[in-house]
Amino acid sequence: MVDIIRRSPVTFDKRPARVENRHNWNVVTEFADEGEEGPWITDLCHKTRWDVQDGNLMSLNSSDLPIPENYGDCSLSGEMAVNRMNRTQASVWHFSDDAVQMPNQSAYTETTDATVFLALYGKNVFSITEKLTNLDLNGPDKNPPTLVQGPFSHVPCQILVVNKDGEMPGILFTCSRGYARDMVHAVMDAGREFSLKPAGEDRCKQWINQIL
Amino acid sequence: MMNRLKNLPTLRVNTSEKVSVTYRGKQYEGFKGDTVASLLYANGIRIFGRSLKYHRPRGLYSLDGECSNTCMQIDDIPNERAENIPARDGMNIREQNVKGSAEKDMMGFIDKLDWAMPAGFYYHTMHRPAKMWPVAMKQIRKAAGLGTLNQNFNRHERFDEIFPKTEVCVIGGGPAGMAAALEAADKGVRVILLESRPWLGGFYEYRTSVDESGNFLYSKARTLAEKVEAHPDIRVFKHTFMVGAYNNNLITAFQRGGETESFHERYIEIRAQSVVVATGCIERPLIFENNERPGVMQAGCAHRLCRTYGILPGKAAVFSIGHDTGLEAAVDLFDMGLKIACIADLREDGQDPELLEKVKGRKIPYYPGRVATEALGKKRVTGVKVGTIDGTVEETYTCDLVVASAGFTPVTGPITINQGKLKFDEHTGFFLPSVLPDKTHVAGRINGLGNPASIEASGKLAGLRAAAECGKDLTGEIDEAQGELNDLPGPQRGSKFVTGPVSGRKSYICFDEDTTIKNIKQAIRKGFDVPELIKRYTSAGTGPGQGGIPGHNLPLFTAKFKAEENEKIRPTNQRPPLVPLFLSTYAGTNHDMAKRTPMHDRQKKDGGIFRRLGVWRRARYFSNDFSCRKEIENVRNNVGILDGSTLGKFRIHGPDALKALQRVYISNMEKVKQGRVKYTAMCNDDGCVIDDGVITKLAENDYFFTTSTGRAGSTVEWIRYHTRFDGWDFNLVNLTDALGVINLSGPNSRKVIEKVTDQDISDQALPFSGVKEYTISDDIPVTVMRLGFVGELSYELHVPSSYMESAWDLLLEAGKEFHIKNFGVEAQNVLRMEKGHVILGQESEQRTNLTDINMGFLWYRKKKEAKTVGNVALEQTVNDTGRLKLVGIKMKDPSRAPGDGCVIVDDTRVRGYVCTIRKSFSVEGVIGMALVEQPLAKNGTTVFVYEDECKGNLSEAQVVPMPFYDPEGKRMKA
Repeated sequence: MVDIIRRSPVTFDKRPARVENRHNWNVVTEFADEGEEGPWITDLCHKTRWDVQDGNLMSLNSSDLPIPENYGDCSLSGEMAVNRMNRTQASVWHFSDDAVQMPNQSAYTETTDATVFLALYGKNVFSITEKLTNLDLNGPDKNPPTLVQGPFSHVPCQILVVNKDGEMPGILFTCSRGYARDMVHAVMDAGREFSLKPAGEDRCKQWINQIL
Repeated sequence: MMNRLKNLPTLRVNTSEKVSVTYRGKQYEGFKGDTVASLLYANGIRIFGRSLKYHRPRGLYSLDGECSNTCMQIDDIPNERAENIPARDGMNIREQNVKGSAEKDMMGFIDKLDWAMPAGFYYHTMHRPAKMWPVAMKQIRKAAGLGTLNQNFNRHERFDEIFPKTEVCVIGGGPAGMAAALEAADKGVRVILLESRPWLGGFYEYRTSVDESGNFLYSKARTLAEKVEAHPDIRVFKHTFMVGAYNNNLITAFQRGGETESFHERYIEIRAQSVVVATGCIERPLIFENNERPGVMQAGCAHRLCRTYGILPGKAAVFSIGHDTGLEAAVDLFDMGLKIACIADLREDGQDPELLEKVKGRKIPYYPGRVATEALGKKRVTGVKVGTIDGTVEETYTCDLVVASAGFTPVTGPITINQGKLKFDEHTGFFLPSVLPDKTHVAGRINGLGNPASIEASGKLAGLRAAAECGKDLTGEIDEAQGELNDLPGPQRGSKFVTGPVSGRKSYICFDEDTTIKNIKQAIRKGFDVPELIKRYTSAGTGPGQGGIPGHNLPLFTAKFKAEENEKIRPTNQRPPLVPLFLSTYAGTNHDMAKRTPMHDRQKKDGGIFRRLGVWRRARYFSNDFSCRKEIENVRNNVGILDGSTLGKFRIHGPDALKALQRVYISNMEKVKQGRVKYTAMCNDDGCVIDDGVITKLAENDYFFTTSTGRAGSTVEWIRYHTRFDGWDFNLVNLTDALGVINLSGPNSRKVIEKVTDQDISDQALPFSGVKEYTISDDIPVTVMRLGFVGELSYELHVPSSYMESAWDLLLEAGKEFHIKNFGVEAQNVLRMEKGHVILGQESEQRTNLTDINMGFLWYRKKKEAKTVGNVALEQTVNDTGRLKLVGIKMKDPSRAPGDGCVIVDDTRVRGYVCTIRKSFSVEGVIGMALVEQPLAKNGTTVFVYEDECKGNLSEAQVVPMPFYDPEGKRMKA
């Protein structure tokens, strides 16, 4: 008998403390030994993601989908992040635990399985990221939330700088799903000197709520 | 351990914490904070190794790694600079380039044979007769190089890398650099400060003289350092060596890790908006006979040995110096207990009167206008001859230390490697920057400044200018700082004196390469009369010290010897890395970023042998039988399962999607229908096929298409590029990673799918070239395409990646009774070859176009709206008979296949080559595909294959029709 489950491409070398089955995904809500210090990395691959493309992108702007006007800007709420990528394109990252129904319009493409989706947050986050990218994620010109597109550990990524300041700086980022294992390995390796630990979805939610 | 000076306020060693190392099997003790060199020196070790060419004894000369004198093997790593490496407990140290020991080197006799090895001797000796050179070359290579790398040595240290961004990068953590950093940071910009020593302070750090306000310079250095390190906008990298500077102020450096750091060495790549170079000066060596004999050292080296490491460098010294800092060192070292036989100052006048008073007050014999001419002693200094500059008077002194320095020279590498220009300045005797790189400023002693207040003021000014480059309006403050600097003492007078009256036979201008003054003269006489040519002919400045010792002495001496005007003096170029570093440091952590399919682990568990294919890792074989016989036969007879997830997958939608497809695809894309897949190809402007795949229509103005694995990464750019002037409205989504692909092939493949879905999968419901949405196990949405790449009944199942493993398991379970088995990329390669299907890049290349490789059937020539990429080139070659053609070949010898890529030849020339060739288990014999010249393309033609090392025995093959297997396609359409 084969279990029908959806699998994340991300694996951590840590024991999950709590796992929840959600829409065929086994979601780790907490890892053992997460600690209270951070920084942390959380797998969010199970979160629904869409690509939205249209020649007149702003015509799709609504309260359900607040598309930012300027490239690089992001509309961030507890429900989703809408990242304006360029003139015709935005990426939508949902945070909800519930299944999200994609509008039946040609502009939308389901891309949940196209990318690996990770959160990297807590202290020293930018000391970790500078080991992996020459993108200036912490630059004075960056006003979070802001989207940066470019190489992260040599792989093209969409990086949302969620917070720069205080005790809880952090980013959310996506890259091609196939890179998941090497990306996680690279990030964990870069974060080793800062005691980077895998954390479950609950801690990531706390972080986002704390910022919002 | 000899007595160490303790309780000095300038000390950088912790005399309460001991460190023990092993040198030549014996334990030596030092203090925490010692370098390997200072620890050994404190224990009486004076000879650290032997020189490259003449095996001359070498000792401590500078303390900043300016030459290879102290290159040693430390913990099995050769060529570590003992003067830069902090001593750590348990280190195992060995001398280099010795046969015996550094003290008793059996190769030391070579020093007497210098007459037989003039400059560039290997260019004009040992070449005749010609057969002598290979023998001589071996010996020269054996003798060349310092240190030996153990071939079995593995590095276990961690090499890290970071890519920080900043507004201002300050190179040099001396007083000018610190002042610049503080000033810039106070203006609200981010600053990175790089310092090569393990602490900040530079020129001030060890000096007990005072500034105008009566503050000790060392104390001032520490106060400044505290401020810098506490500033929130200044990031300090100590023990960090700048190695390169590139366009747009990309600065590269590496940092040595301390005991508490997580790395051994760390590569740092800094992108800065502006740069301040405050690298100060190094001492310019004074050249005289035996000027590199152990016991001869620079004034700064002697002074810092005492003040920083608590080691009195000798018992009795002679100073031969050319600057006030040398006088200051003499006075201070005298006060610390060093006996000084005399001070020879090559300057006739211009000395600091206050310092002269101090010398006089201590009754140290002082001789202006005199200079050391020869160091005495076989292995270490036992005395020195000092004479007048014109050579009229010479006296001999007994001593164990000669402190020698001709003057200072600015550290200009960071400027010149970034295309800055230098010009000789008569007043300072320096090569000063005449053209600076964009947004680069200089500060401090590099400008010839010597007064502490001037040095700091110049730093402040450079800091303000650098901050202004980052968009800060600081015009008023810059003017004020400039005024302040103008009111202070300007650059000090210097000299271009290099050497006294010596024969030059044993006067070394380059320690690393054993290049003497005599060698330089020999090179000039041979016509190599400019420093850049002399450098190459004599090797001066090409050693590990990167020109630190010969540096500006070489052009100055050349100019003097040729009696050239100052205007004409040009220094040699420096190139990155300015300081040697490990290749491992450049490599950094070096994560090999590759893509894995959702089935990677499962296939690995099933015995898959993986190979890198572009960005992906793919299972190429499933056993050690690389002919893949069992995999192939199972596909032909039962059913095989292949992970094809690496295929490129794209959605294109929007009002002008069809136009874009017509532009890039060679076929008529209007014919693409819902429920059907169309095989087609993309060409480049030359008509060469660059990609192929299938396409289907999802809805009006909405298509899904696949590309080859290798092209997936560039497909979006390709389509956008070729439609860039049209203003068409279409959107592309890369779904390559979103969907996994399961290729189910073989006569039983339909039966397997029937078991996992209730929907109709019959030939009527899903005929060949059909596409349909299915749901398997009620949960998993799957798009099924019926294709035939391997020539059997085949299905391509496109599955959401997260469901791939579940779908795969379901099919394996369902296929158990039909003997379902994995097959890999190599088996697929053979299967499709038997069917005569091409793989782009394997059966195609830049000289072959669509029609050459028998794919002309895809070409639709009557498109109205879109000009298809490659169409014009294809039209032009329609009647060209001089092109390569793809043909099938069968080897006469059925027992073995030649390799892919073997050339096809006739008596005189190459006529083509084999693209893919294998022993076939489906069709008897060795068959393959080859690109041959058109006259050979006719069926039945005999061709000859040339294999590597065939010794002229060509293999015979015959051109045969394709496909080799199931030519009517009955099996795949079954």
